[in-house]
Amino acid sequence: MELEKHIENISSVLYKWFHSENTGLKRAIEKTVDEGFFSFPDIKHQILTLKQATKHNQLLKWAEKSGLRKDSLKDKNIVCLHAGNLPLVGFQDVLSVILTGGNYYGKISRKDPYLLPAFLDFYSQLESNCKIEWKLDLDQLNVTQADALLFAGSLESAAQVKSILKKSGAISDDTPSLMRTAHFSVAYITNNHPETMRDLTEAVFRYGGAGCRSVAIVVAPFHLNAEKCSFTDYVEEFWLHNPQHAKPDASLYHRFAFNKVMNIEQAWLDHYLIEEHLSKPAKKFILRWVKGDKGTLDQVTRTFGDGIQSVYSTEEYIGSYSGDLIIEPLSSAQTPPIWWKPDQIDTIRWLQVNAGF
Amino acid sequence: MSGNDWLSTIFNSSLPFVDRLSDVFDYQIQNNLIYREYCSVFGISQSSDIQPDSIPLLPIRAFQMRKIYAADKDPELIFKSSGTTGMQQSTHYVADAAMYRTAIANGFYEHFPQDDYSILCYMPGYTENPHSSLIWMASFLIQNDASGLSKFLENSDNLDKWIDEVINHGKKPVLFSAAFGLLDLIDEIKVLNGHRLEIIETGGMKTHRRELSKKDLRNMLSEGFGVDHRAIHSEYGMCELLSQMYAIGDEWFTAPHWLKVSIRNPKNPAEICKPGEEGKIGIIDLANVFSCPFFLTDDKGVMDDTGRFQVLGRWNSDNLRGCNFLIDRD
Repeated sequence: MELEKHIENISSVLYKWFHSENTGLKRAIEKTVDEGFFSFPDIKHQILTLKQATKHNQLLKWAEKSGLRKDSLKDKNIVCLHAGNLPLVGFQDVLSVILTGGNYYGKISRKDPYLLPAFLDFYSQLESNCKIEWKLDLDQLNVTQADALLFAGSLESAAQVKSILKKSGAISDDTPSLMRTAHFSVAYITNNHPETMRDLTEAVFRYGGAGCRSVAIVVAPFHLNAEKCSFTDYVEEFWLHNPQHAKPDASLYHRFAFNKVMNIEQAWLDHYLIEEHLSKPAKKFILRWVKGDKGTLDQVTRTFGDGIQSVYSTEEYIGSYSGDLIIEPLSSAQTPPIWWKPDQIDTIRWLQVNAGF
Repeated sequence: MSGNDWLSTIFNSSLPFVDRLSDVFDYQIQNNLIYREYCSVFGISQSSDIQPDSIPLLPIRAFQMRKIYAADKDPELIFKSSGTTGMQQSTHYVADAAMYRTAIANGFYEHFPQDDYSILCYMPGYTENPHSSLIWMASFLIQNDASGLSKFLENSDNLDKWIDEVINHGKKPVLFSAAFGLLDLIDEIKVLNGHRLEIIETGGMKTHRRELSKKDLRNMLSEGFGVDHRAIHSEYGMCELLSQMYAIGDEWFTAPHWLKVSIRNPKNPAEICKPGEEGKIGIIDLANVFSCPFFLTDDKGVMDDTGRFQVLGRWNSDNLRGCNFLIDRD
């Protein structure tokens, strides 16, 4: 009963925060857009997605799935280091800490400096059961001996970040750290129906392809050349309503030139490159197209292993496996439920096991 | 131009580099279809369009994907990379073995004069690759030593004995080896006369044990063999490249007069990084006239004000996507 009440309170705060008349959120959005951090359509998409995903019944579902216990992290200090590649990308981590009743210490990204702080300010004014503190600078975080660290980043940057936090006494060698390193997703399509192609377009091009849920490799039963014209029509249609905000650097054109002389089939979209060639998705603004079937998809999954966040497909494959990954609906690539598991780990469950009582 | 004409042009330091570059570039445009097409994408079609710093550099992985060849005769040599990175092997078709011999000799003997040094080569791992350019180079240097003291290290060899023998012949002993081979030697054998050796390490810093920084490697070699840091040198070369660069006594490499290194901005390879800025190592090796002399490596490097450069390992693009690279870079 107590847990339900707790969730209801949080859900009520979220409802108010996402409300269209919330002037604090409006101001944060305006500043974010004015200062060029993200485009309005991308922010709007994220806000609407989170608004839907954090409704009362959805939070209850997450609580059930994760085995949430009321105040399981009471008086525990949780440090969250948020990336800034998408608007509000750390929102799920914030909610995980709030739902478990822990004290939140957040390092906010300078690339998304208004949206998450707007929520944190709003929340701490309405709910004061736990501590909410955030800073833009890592070394300014006012916490000692944190009980857990949530982080999304590379192994290299993790070492650097941990070293700074250790130096300041925020964490020790023993502090449990949940570090997510998956950085792209894969789509497997079996047809070129308009709905599939629109879903694929959204899955690839939303947020300019940034974010680990965005598709960087597509496995399709046809060559790029056969689908190039119609696919680019879908992309243009998408860009008409969602102009790409971040633009690639000049190296993308060099890659286009290289592909051309290597006889790699490709589509140059000015701000994006689609190439029929499988390579490790390290660079942004490139979609790798692979002609193949489910076996090809499984091979891709094996090849790139832990780098893959999610595998998406259309109806017939949803719920089945590719490697260790459960295939998710392509249509929800950019509208995940609140209980989605970054790097296949439920954050609430992990916090309770590693930092809870 | 015949093969000999190219040799006397490319290795003639009295000719300005830009003039030699211009000849090589024109030859490439005429004879290397892949490079010609690559340049045409950037609107470049003749030598009057280029300067050493503005010349398009073909990404080195081209050697993995296509036959990069610009001669109208069969290749005399074929080299293949070890492929240890799990990627496709690079293949370098060499039209003129004399070009490779000259590049090796002119580069190596400038730092280690033929009459002064004998070389002990230890290349474990590479010997398993029958197409290794490094083994070919080592064999060439061994055969070229008239004293007969240069050789490949064999299991039964006593390193101390060899050092003594070389010194007794009035020569300096130099151990030329893959970096990880040197570390194995430290573990496996006790060298009493190590302090009388000079060492040339090559083959990158990624050993079969773990990734080492150049500094750590040098410290380990110094301690393990008992040699002064000034006697530890590095060689930088690759299967796709006929010429080599050397760092003598420290971590700073210099290039021979027919080779030009630049550090390129990975975000825009047409841009040269300022001294002190890290980027990808770009190479113009005129000795590669019959394959491709203009290419961009995947190695990370940095240059100083005087044109010396350091090799800092592989350029890692893994972190440029997704949430990665954002915490520490924002």
